[in-house]
Amino acid sequence: MKPREPADDDTRPTAGVEQSDLELVKRAQRGERGAFDLLVLRYQHKVVKLVARLLRDQAEAEDVAQEAFVKAYRALGSFRGDSAFYTWLYRIAVNTARNSIASRQRRPLDYEADLSENEQTAVESRMRHTDTPEANVLSEEIRATVNRAVEELPEDLRTAIILREVEGLSYEEIAAAMDCPVGTVRSRIFRAREAIDRNLKPLLD
Amino acid sequence: MTDQIREQVSALLDGELPRDEVGLLVRRMERDPELRRAFGSYSLIGETLRAPGGRTAHPSFAARVSAAIDAPGSTVTSPAPVAARHPLWKRPAVATALAASVALIAVVLVQPFTGPASAPAAVERWAKAGAASPTPAQSQRLAGYLVAHSQFSSPIGRRNVWSGLLAADPGLTRVSYETPEAP
Repeated sequence: MKPREPADDDTRPTAGVEQSDLELVKRAQRGERGAFDLLVLRYQHKVVKLVARLLRDQAEAEDVAQEAFVKAYRALGSFRGDSAFYTWLYRIAVNTARNSIASRQRRPLDYEADLSENEQTAVESRMRHTDTPEANVLSEEIRATVNRAVEELPEDLRTAIILREVEGLSYEEIAAAMDCPVGTVRSRIFRAREAIDRNLKPLLD
Repeated sequence: MTDQIREQVSALLDGELPRDEVGLLVRRMERDPELRRAFGSYSLIGETLRAPGGRTAHPSFAARVSAAIDAPGSTVTSPAPVAARHPLWKRPAVATALAASVALIAVVLVQPFTGPASAPAAVERWAKAGAASPTPAQSQRLAGYLVAHSQFSSPIGRRNVWSGLLAADPGLTRVSYETPEAP
């Protein structure tokens, strides 16, 4: 199945994020490695999730996602900003995943000679669906922790973070919706993130 | 680390940080792993809220990408600069080609007026003539030529010229013809 273009994706970055990405890209193009590191930090989960979905092999997903980021860094000089940075990165990630799938299909299995065609298909299918239990447990714990922490937030912080992260509203739009100054929105979103981060930190350290 | 800076990190993630504050914060984050960790964590929170389920990157993923880019055996280099930013003639390859062309034209144009086709040939002719050693003035002129020539010639070429010169005038003091070190 062809993956959706990020333009149709509900998680498409807002205009502010696109602008911020462009600023980071320009800095990275001028040789500021720290700026590229921030782009990796911003999109790492999105790209790993995308690649894992395409490969159906959780174990290989991180290696392929890493390769995609390295390719993106190498090609950054050719990025002109005609599309959003994530759209560009998304294409690189999809192509890298496709190459990985093609190369896996060309790779003979060690035990090929001992297996019938049906048996081979069954083994390959099982291999593709192999998840690393540790990674799955961590992802599940992260999800549960974030949801629990959000539930425990005071209402004004919870509303601000949900409008921002789930609905994708800008600070100005949130300010209008919550009838408060933009500076207050910025502060509420920050305090919500801090509260969630305090719960998350022990899991990630 | 003050909350104010972490709040800036949060605003940067949302693309809501004023542009004139971005540069300073990015440089600060480059030096401060805790700020980078916070940025990564805020990003993970958003990703988890937006699209629950599925795989998230391992906590060390970003560090591994960074190491892969920095790895000594890696073919990864700094991203190529945006070409449009530099005029064509300023690019290194083009500048070198231009300099070489100018030098070639200079040699072709100057040759008819300087007589000898090359310094070694001139020295050889002097040596073959053998009738008389070059006068001090001639040696001086040749040494001057040599100093100028050394800027464009290979070390072997320079050695040939010197051999010829010394053969023609053994008493000639070897003068320094190396390009002086830059201060």
